[in-house]
Amino acid sequence: MFFSLDLLAQALVTGILIGGVFALLSVGLTLIWGVMRIINFAHGEFLMVGMYIVYFLVTKGGWDPYVTLLVSVPALFVVGAAIFRLTIQPILAHPSMNQIMLTLGLSLILQNLALVVFRADPLIVQTAYSRVTFNLGPAVVRVPQLIAFGGSGLAAMLLYWFLQKTDAGRAIRAASQNREAAVLMGVDVQRTYLLAFGIGSACLGVAASLMVPFYYTSPTVGLWFGQVAFIVVILGGMGNFMGALVGGQIIGLTEAFGAAILPGTLSRVFTFAIFILVLLFRPQGLFGGGKK
Amino acid sequence: MNKYTILFLAIVLVILFLLPLVAGEYLLHMIVLVLLYAYLATAWNILGGYAGQHSLGHGVFLGIGAYVSTFLFIQWGITPWLGMWAGGAVSALVGWFIGYVCFRYGLKGPYFALVTIALAEAFVYLTSNVDVIGGAKGLEVTWLGHRPDMMEFDGKAGYYYIILVMTILGVIVTRWLYQRRSGYQWIAVRENEDAAEALGVDTLRAKIEATVLSALMTAIGGTFYAQYFTYIGPRSVFGEGPSIQILLFAIIGGLGTLWGPVVGAIVLVPIAELARAKLGGSFGGAHLLLYGTVMVLVMLFMPKGIVGLAQNVYARLTRRRPDSAQSAKEVV
Amino acid sequence: MSLLEVSKLTKHFGGLTAVNNLSFSIDEGEIVGLIGPNGAGKTTIFNLVSGFIVPSSGDITFSGRRLNGLKPHQVCQLGLTRTFQVVQPFPDMTALENVMMGAFVRHANPALAREKALRVLERVDMSHKAETLGRDLTLMELKRLEIGKALATEPKLLLLDEVAAGLNTVEVEEILALVRQLNQQESVTLLVVEHVMKVIMSLSHRIVVLNFGEKIAQGTPHEVAHNPAVLEAYLGEEASGA
Repeated sequence: MFFSLDLLAQALVTGILIGGVFALLSVGLTLIWGVMRIINFAHGEFLMVGMYIVYFLVTKGGWDPYVTLLVSVPALFVVGAAIFRLTIQPILAHPSMNQIMLTLGLSLILQNLALVVFRADPLIVQTAYSRVTFNLGPAVVRVPQLIAFGGSGLAAMLLYWFLQKTDAGRAIRAASQNREAAVLMGVDVQRTYLLAFGIGSACLGVAASLMVPFYYTSPTVGLWFGQVAFIVVILGGMGNFMGALVGGQIIGLTEAFGAAILPGTLSRVFTFAIFILVLLFRPQGLFGGGKK
Repeated sequence: MNKYTILFLAIVLVILFLLPLVAGEYLLHMIVLVLLYAYLATAWNILGGYAGQHSLGHGVFLGIGAYVSTFLFIQWGITPWLGMWAGGAVSALVGWFIGYVCFRYGLKGPYFALVTIALAEAFVYLTSNVDVIGGAKGLEVTWLGHRPDMMEFDGKAGYYYIILVMTILGVIVTRWLYQRRSGYQWIAVRENEDAAEALGVDTLRAKIEATVLSALMTAIGGTFYAQYFTYIGPRSVFGEGPSIQILLFAIIGGLGTLWGPVVGAIVLVPIAELARAKLGGSFGGAHLLLYGTVMVLVMLFMPKGIVGLAQNVYARLTRRRPDSAQSAKEVV
Repeated sequence: MSLLEVSKLTKHFGGLTAVNNLSFSIDEGEIVGLIGPNGAGKTTIFNLVSGFIVPSSGDITFSGRRLNGLKPHQVCQLGLTRTFQVVQPFPDMTALENVMMGAFVRHANPALAREKALRVLERVDMSHKAETLGRDLTLMELKRLEIGKALATEPKLLLLDEVAAGLNTVEVEEILALVRQLNQQESVTLLVVEHVMKVIMSLSHRIVVLNFGEKIAQGTPHEVAHNPAVLEAYLGEEASGA
C-alpha cells in the first residue's frame, strides 16, 4: 500500500459524503435511545424494510427514488410506531436485557421474512443519474452520494428544528432528560415515546430513499448499517443529536480511509476498534456528559 | 434432586444410549443438533444466565475452538481429541482477557453485550482476511475415513455418542459449579453487584471466572462442531448466527436455571429443523424466522422462559404460600 | 492502637469537596455515632472507608492496615463490613441464601456457610423467614436481613447506615436492642450513621458531628447535645430531640 495523495483525497471525499448518511442513520437511533433508553437492535432492519419499499416503488412503479420520500417516510413512521406499540411498549419497564432480546428477535424476524419473500439476491437500481460523477480536484464525486449527503443534512436540520421549536419536540427532549419531571409537567409520556420511536424510524425512511440510488438492497443490508448506527451513537453519546452528526462523520472517514489503506473488509477492524475503545474508556461518548 | 427425578433421568439416559440401535440417520442427526445446542447453551448460561453478563458474541469462543482444532488437524494431523484441549486453552485465555478488560472497566449490561458483538464481528473480519486459515472460504475438515481416533465416523452414531456424553458431562459439571460457592457468587453478582462486593465477593474475579469457564466449555463444543459439520467459515462460527442461537435456547428455556438451556434446545431445535426441511433449502431463513418469533413472544409473555414458567406453575399448583416461592438458587 | 483510624481524609468530586480533612478514630468495643445535617458527607465517609470510592487524600487505617485503594470486597475480608441505607437484598434468593453470601467470606464450603447463616438468622430473629425470597420480605425483615448479612461476615467493625430509617417506634426499639446486643455480647465495634436523634444518642458511646464534610464536634452524647456549634449546625431542627 502506498499513500498517494489522490487516494487519500478520494477517501476524504467519500468519507465525508458517506458520513452524512451514517449520521442520518444514527440520529434516529440516538433519539430513541436517549428518550427511552431502548437499544433497538432491529434499527438496521427498519432501514432494510425502507429500502425494499423504495426499490419496488422505483422498479415496479417507475417512481424517481427521491420522490419515494413521500411514501418511505410516513411508511417507516407507521411501521416503527406500530412495532413499538405492539412489542416494545409493553416491556418498557422490564430489564434492559429483555428489551434487547426482543429487538434482536424482531431483527431476526424482519431479516428472515425478507429472505423468505425476496430471496437473498442484492437488488440494484439504475437511474438517470446513478452513474453521474464530477471531479473535485483529484477526487471523484458520485452525484447520488452527494445528494444523499445533502438530503441527510436537510433531514437532520428539519429534525433539529422539530426538536427545538415544536411542542412535541420539546416534549420529547423533556422526556429524555427527566422522565418524572416531564410527567409532572403534563407531558403524555407514552405518546411521546410513540412519537419518538416513529420519528426515529422515519429517519430511516429518508435514508432508504437516499441510499437506494447508490447502494444495493438485500435482506442483510441492515446488519452492517445497524452496527454502524450503534457505533456512531456510542461514539457520539447516547441521546446526543450533535454527537450523532459528528460521530457519523468520524466513522464515515474511518471507513473510507480504512478501505483505502487495508484490503477487503479488514478495513472495518478500525471501526470496531474505535467502538471497543470508546466503550471501554469513554462509554458516555464524545459529547455525553456525566457517568453512564 | 428427589428419587423421581433421578429415576426419570435414568430412564431417559438409557433410552438415549440405546437409541442408535433403532433410530435412523435423520433422527440421530436431529438429536445431535439438539444435544449440541443444549451443550453450547449450557456453557453460555454460566456467564449469561448465572453471572448475568449477557454475551451476544459467544461465537468468538465457538470459533476459536473450531479453528484451533481444525487448523492443528489439517496442518499437522493432530487429532481433534487433543486439538479440542488446545482450542479450549486458547479460548479460555481469550475469555480471560476479554473478561478482564471489560469488567475491569466496569462494562455492564447492554454495553458489555455491544462489546461482545463488536468482538465477534472483528473476529469475522480478521479471519476472513487471513489466508493461512482459509480466509473467507473457511476450512474444510479432511475426511480420513472412519477414524474414531481422529473424531471422524461413518454414520452418525459415533458423533451422537460423543455429543451425548459431552452434554451429560456439561450438565453435571455446571451443576457441580452451581452448588459450590462460585455458583452462589455468580447469582449474587447478577442480582446486586454492589451488595455482593460489600459482602466480600470479589465480583471482578467472579465474572472473569464465569467468562473463562464458559469460554472453555464453548470452545470444546466448537471442536465437535467442526468435526460434525466438516466445514467452518468465518461467518458460520464467529457470526451472529451461532451467537444468537446459543443464547436464544438459554433464554427461552429459562435463564439462570440448570435445565433451561437443555429444555430450550429440546423444544426449539426439532421444530426449527422441521421447518427448515419442510420449507426447503431456498428458505434458509425459516428456522431463524421461527427463533425470532419465539424470542419476541417469550419476552412479551414469559420472560422467565419455559423452566421459569414451569416453576411458577408448579409453585402455584402445589399451593405453596407466597413466602416459599422458588429461589433462583434452587438447583434441581 | 485504635481499631479504625481516619486521618486527614479528604474527598473532592470535581469542584465539590464532600469530605474535608476529617480525622477521627474508633476503639475496639465502641459504638461511635456519626451525625450531621443532610449533605454533611456521612454516606461519602462510609463509601470511602468501605472502599467504594477512593480518597483524594488522607489515610484510613484498620487494625494497623492501610485501607486506601482497597476494593470493597477486600475491606470486607479484612473485617470491616458496611450495610446500605437503602437495603440491598438479593431479591431472588431466600433470606438464608442472602446471609450465606456473607458467610462465604469465612467459610468457603457451602454446607458450613449454610450452618453459619442459619445461626445468624436465629441471631437476628429471622429463622422463620429463612426460605422466603428477598423480594417478599417486609421492610423490617429486610433491615434485620441486612444486619444479618453483614453479621455473617464476622466483622470486627460494622458500619450501619441509617438502619432505623423508615421504621416505626416499636421497630426502632427492636433494632436498637439488637444492635446493642451485638455490641455487648458479640463485641462488634460499630460506626453508626443515623438521623433519628433519639436512636443515636441512646446508642452511642461517642459521637462525631459533621457539617459540610468537616468535623465540628466530637464527644459523649451529652457533650455533643450541648455543644453550641452542633446546635447551630442543626439550626434547632433535630437538636431538640427528634
